[in-house]
Amino acid sequence: MTIAELVREASLDQVGYSSDQCLKCNVCNTVCPVARVTDLFPGPKYVGPQAARFRMGRTQPVQLKDAPRLESPDVTVDYCSGCGWCTAACPAGVKIAEMNSQSRARLKAGHRPKLRDWGLGQTDLTGHMGVLFSPIGNWALHNRPVRRMMELTVGVHHKAPFPNFSRRTFQSAWKRRQKRRGLSRAPMPGPDKAVVYFHGCAVNYYEPHVANAAIAILERNGYQVIVPPQVCCGLPLISNGIYGEARDKANENIKILADYARKGYKIVGTSTSCTHTIKAEYREMLDLRDDDATVVAQATWDICEFLLYLHEQGKLDTSFGRLDEDLPYHAPCQLRSHGIGLPAMDLFALVPGLRARDMDHDCCGMAGTYGMKKEKYDIAMAVGAPLFEKVRASGATEAACDSETCRWQIEGASGVRTKHPVEILQAAYRAGDAARGGSSGVGGGSATGEDAARGGDSPEAHAAVRAGSGGSRARNR
Amino acid sequence: MVESSRMTESHAFDVLVVGGGATGAGVLRDLARRGLRSLLVERGDFGTGTTGRYHGLLHSGGRYAVKDSQAARECIDENRVLRRIAPASVEDTGGYFVATPDDPDDYLDVFPAACEKAGIECDEIPVAQALRREPALNPKIRRVFRLPDGSIEPWNLIDANVADARAHGSDAWSYHRVVGFEREGERIVAATVRDERSGTTTKVSTRFVVSAAGAWAGQIAAMAGVELTMRPGKGVMLIYNQRMTDTVVNRCHKAGDGDIMVPVHTVAILGTTDVKVPDPDVYEITRGEVAELIAEGEKLFPDLGRMRLMRAYAGVRPLYQPPADTQASDNRAVSRAHTVIDHANRDGVDNFVSIVGGKLTTFRLMAQDTVDVVAAKLGVTEPCTTADTVLPNQEPGKTYWLGHRLAEHEAEGGGDAALLCECEFVTRPMLNAFLDTHSACSIDDIRRGTRLGMGPCQGGFCTFRAAGLVAERAAGSAGAGGPAGAGGADATLADDADQAIVGYLRERFKGTRPIAAGRQLQELWMVMGMYVGALGIESLVDREPAEPAREVVDAQR
Amino acid sequence: MPSADVVVVGAGLSGLTAALAVAETGARVQVVAKGHAGTHWGSGGLDVAGLPGTATPREGLASLAALPGHPYAHLAGDVAPALEWLRALLAAQGLAYQGDLDTPLQLVPTSIGGTRLAAILPAAQAPAARPWAAGERLVVCGIAGFKDFWPDAIAASLSRPRVWAETSGPERVDAVSVELPGLAARHNLSALELARRLDDPSWRAAAIDRIVSALEANAAKPGGARPGSGRLALPAILGLNDHAAAFDEFRRCLPMEPFEMPLVQPSVPGIRLYNALRAALIGAGGRVLIGEPVAQVDRTGDRVIAVAMEAAVRTATFRTGALILATGGIAGGGIVADNDGHLEEMVLGMPVEAPEFADWLAPDAFDPSGHPLEAAGIRTDADLRPVDRSGKPIFENVRVVGTMLAGQRYLRERCRDGVSIASGWRAAKTLTAVAVPLPVAAAASGSVRP
Repeated sequence: MTIAELVREASLDQVGYSSDQCLKCNVCNTVCPVARVTDLFPGPKYVGPQAARFRMGRTQPVQLKDAPRLESPDVTVDYCSGCGWCTAACPAGVKIAEMNSQSRARLKAGHRPKLRDWGLGQTDLTGHMGVLFSPIGNWALHNRPVRRMMELTVGVHHKAPFPNFSRRTFQSAWKRRQKRRGLSRAPMPGPDKAVVYFHGCAVNYYEPHVANAAIAILERNGYQVIVPPQVCCGLPLISNGIYGEARDKANENIKILADYARKGYKIVGTSTSCTHTIKAEYREMLDLRDDDATVVAQATWDICEFLLYLHEQGKLDTSFGRLDEDLPYHAPCQLRSHGIGLPAMDLFALVPGLRARDMDHDCCGMAGTYGMKKEKYDIAMAVGAPLFEKVRASGATEAACDSETCRWQIEGASGVRTKHPVEILQAAYRAGDAARGGSSGVGGGSATGEDAARGGDSPEAHAAVRAGSGGSRARNR
Repeated sequence: MVESSRMTESHAFDVLVVGGGATGAGVLRDLARRGLRSLLVERGDFGTGTTGRYHGLLHSGGRYAVKDSQAARECIDENRVLRRIAPASVEDTGGYFVATPDDPDDYLDVFPAACEKAGIECDEIPVAQALRREPALNPKIRRVFRLPDGSIEPWNLIDANVADARAHGSDAWSYHRVVGFEREGERIVAATVRDERSGTTTKVSTRFVVSAAGAWAGQIAAMAGVELTMRPGKGVMLIYNQRMTDTVVNRCHKAGDGDIMVPVHTVAILGTTDVKVPDPDVYEITRGEVAELIAEGEKLFPDLGRMRLMRAYAGVRPLYQPPADTQASDNRAVSRAHTVIDHANRDGVDNFVSIVGGKLTTFRLMAQDTVDVVAAKLGVTEPCTTADTVLPNQEPGKTYWLGHRLAEHEAEGGGDAALLCECEFVTRPMLNAFLDTHSACSIDDIRRGTRLGMGPCQGGFCTFRAAGLVAERAAGSAGAGGPAGAGGADATLADDADQAIVGYLRERFKGTRPIAAGRQLQELWMVMGMYVGALGIESLVDREPAEPAREVVDAQR
Repeated sequence: MPSADVVVVGAGLSGLTAALAVAETGARVQVVAKGHAGTHWGSGGLDVAGLPGTATPREGLASLAALPGHPYAHLAGDVAPALEWLRALLAAQGLAYQGDLDTPLQLVPTSIGGTRLAAILPAAQAPAARPWAAGERLVVCGIAGFKDFWPDAIAASLSRPRVWAETSGPERVDAVSVELPGLAARHNLSALELARRLDDPSWRAAAIDRIVSALEANAAKPGGARPGSGRLALPAILGLNDHAAAFDEFRRCLPMEPFEMPLVQPSVPGIRLYNALRAALIGAGGRVLIGEPVAQVDRTGDRVIAVAMEAAVRTATFRTGALILATGGIAGGGIVADNDGHLEEMVLGMPVEAPEFADWLAPDAFDPSGHPLEAAGIRTDADLRPVDRSGKPIFENVRVVGTMLAGQRYLRERCRDGVSIASGWRAAKTLTAVAVPLPVAAAASGSVRP
């Protein structure tokens, strides 16, 4: 198939054509979290299907090699946070948020990306460097003058919430663990006994405890975990309009994951952002529609989605103990885009005593890397303000959210420790085991628990997500 | 739609031009520049005849090269002239002539040579290159030629011609219909014109009459006692909500129906058909015609059936069949070249010519040929300068760019300027500027000057805003210290701005009805739900027959 | 996804009404919708029947119920109890409505300067429905920078006797305009933004001050409307989440009796209605998912057994005991027409009753009889089961509600909301007998539902 044929075949699927569906009904404007708080953003209808009619070549794939460069007449589209509520609320199926993302990429096509935007997209690079030099890196990220300098030079707001770098990457910790258990060279179990884990950058560089919890749960439920080589899913590059490099990342991941997917392995992720990117954005944003990309997308699952699926088959270990607490829960925008409902809430319902409550707020404001940018930080904080207030007012000691940057935002602004749902579930399992007086089943303890004992990578160590406002937390180092 | 005219004291002119389309406006400009003080009268708003309903194509001439080399050469020459003198009205889209699998090789084989003979740049380009630039094209096309087609939106063009004429001492009155001529022997000495808004009549004495009434030339000639049979040819066109192509795309074959797609401003227009109609004011658009056009269009753009069809409209070509050709039954065989008919020898009226036939691309040449005849007869020796001088309100070399409204809006308003028509980015200042300088009788007039209501909502959200602004201006000028210059200009419209809402929505509906399906039908239902359900528009509907000026003509672009 | 006893497709008035009625029986209900349409596009009023020549909704209802194919033919008896139930429910959510089936229909002035027949209105719109006393005045107050409300045009049009038909309108209509605090540089204000601002008590107080000043200035002009001399028309922006308090404050502080006029969408009164219905539904244990188009429906024989929603990849399927189709007809996207005159019902592919293609649309947009296509929809039996052309039910456990029902010319009959409420109510009643109880595997092991 030639590129033209490929492109044409996808044309009606293409985001650019979906502006034909627009009824001009303004419903999207009513749900946009950004339009709600600032005049700088004229609203999704304007920057989406309305402006689309004024852009040349709107049916062309974005930043494809050899595609003609197109002048972009507008700039306000840059204020779209990409949260996706407009697409969700549109009664006619206009892919507004996707259109905006592509327009932003077009805005930047042919220009050198701003250092900030480029930098925010380099999660693997900053992650590796940060881990390598983690004590300094962590100090810098929480040092006011350094942060102010960063804001002046690179445009990352001095209060944007950053977590702490781990002492080693999850990948390297995992390799060690497998070696120690003699599993490095063991034959791979079949797809009914193992899943592929896509860990994402957050786990790899900042939050291995999330992986630990997820892996413990999976192993407990009879699934071994395969962690293949992988790179950043590419979403930060997509969000910042750097499609060429995003495609490189995507293709690298697809190449490795396609083999597994073809063999029937499910690819499970703990970041709803990463899994959404693989499920949908590789196709919709980057126009990757070949068989490999498709089979990988089809095989991708969010962890809670997967666990709930097991439960519906009657295969989930439901021996949760009692967790007597109020748990505020925030559904990230990039969970809603999955279109799978709120699986975390359904899983929480299985835990006795757990009073999980959906905060029912549209967006925390962070929207990936949006809220970190100096010109967008205030907007992001205004968008999330009602949520932070609700979480604070709940009196709960912890909250839950499936997406990492949302967790950092909520925790930073409300002061309430925010965890991934699997951490809550793992705590419930442990409570159950403790009540029964025994240890848990297969794979007891965290995957890198041995390392945790050596200090530095415990969940608590990563609790120090600092932000300037909304409550301070003691640093654990 | 042009600058507010002031009635001159003595209604005596050298030349009276009847018909305010592109040809008439071009004739007026040329006459004025050669020193003949002239008056143009048009029964409706300028450009509401054939010009306002045409396809939007700035021909390269490629379509005629094989069959009619002279016509083709005229096209390419005028194509270049218009780019030079009217860049603001022209979009340099470029054009493709493509061969679908249905198109015969014999035509393709002679096509490049024919273009060369007519002086038209014609380059064959690789199919892959064309598909990369225009991904919506049929991937099965076999060959692609690139030619210098472009697109034009005509009202700006007419406006500029009239402005130039006025600057040279002539004038133009819209909403003035010729109701009779006064003859003395073999000369027309005066015309009676009726102001369609007020009903008052005025006598205009003149030394010469030029009929640029196009498809209506027969009716004008009849008033002078002259028999002139036109063969009006109806052409139906379909407007697509967005440009699936930024390049004009023609089928490279013998001219047929539905074989051209033209991107014009924010839309793409597929055309057209050719059906003889007896009366240029009476015709309809059937669902069958729409279906046939779509079927033809799908040969160029296979996914056309799934794209948002926004509106259908039709225009009537001013085709003229000289008496000798009585056998020709196929309208397409009738010559597209223009004819200046001097009624002196033919009909015994010494000072009357009619200009018929032709196409918009060659309007300036048609005007030149016409005025050459008039000037010779009046003993005027000034040469024609219309091809050399850039029209007013244009920046030389700066052609239309699709993104300009959005870019300007972003630059000035930062996204917060008052958008009254959101679909087409018409702002309050734009609307005020238009109303300050034009006398609009209907929101349709406003549409022609600003594009208000031409987007996917088809007036759903902007109609009442336009009416609201007009009423606000009227109230402002009525009260003490109201803004100067606003009084009177939109008086007709302001009298009953809310009636204007009904009129405009009715007019827009006429273009939706033949194509109502898919999202456009849903759009219509949503808008009706709003206006009938929540806003009580039925209480505004006048159950009396509407006055002629408001209900001028049916479905327009 | 967990199973549900009933899935409701469509989150407009009929869908949410049906879902609420189901939730009250204790059954588990899941509402899924592609997006927002119905409520957000409407005026926020509850039109039961508004036929010219009838005095009350009840009279109109009786006329329509006598038409053989009209939804009211089956539903007439449900309208009163459904309406009463829904109004109590909305009142509990802080959204009060006035008027009932016996309230006389009145010509209510609109924001394009027309009038429309109405009887049952939100409390903030209701004052517009009172007949005009001799000498009573109307002032129309617009907001600078707000382009969806033009007081001069409205005042001019409402000053013409023709829009008031045989009734008499206000003695005189004046237009005023105010600039609200902090908005001097804004030109593209939306109704929703203004409504949210008016939720803030201090901004609201400042805004009211400005309006009071504008009214005083108007009163000082020769012939200007004095305090207490009539009513004040405002655009429908009086608060979103704090509407009751906002309207109350306006009423107390303004020298003329204020009322709201609905605008073009997005409709703030419509959104208030949606929010109230949704909050009630969530409170009753129901679930709502917006952004979920139905990909396919699984059936065995004449029973729907599962609904698959389009997810980012794969479909998300869940079992259900019954399905209520509330997809809004042509306007809502539940019925789609192609270029050749075929009408498709988008969820279940059921046959659509409709006039001949050539007759769909009258030549005049505002033909007094309306457009024949308005009556297109799904034909049902008395229990709202969709039926085929021979009258046999197509599905045992499906109910069709709202604008999807064939036989109503809802624009001219002004019956849309009455049909929606009555059918939603009725559908829940007829379903509880046939819904399959929850499968054991999906039963929750206690703990709080969101």
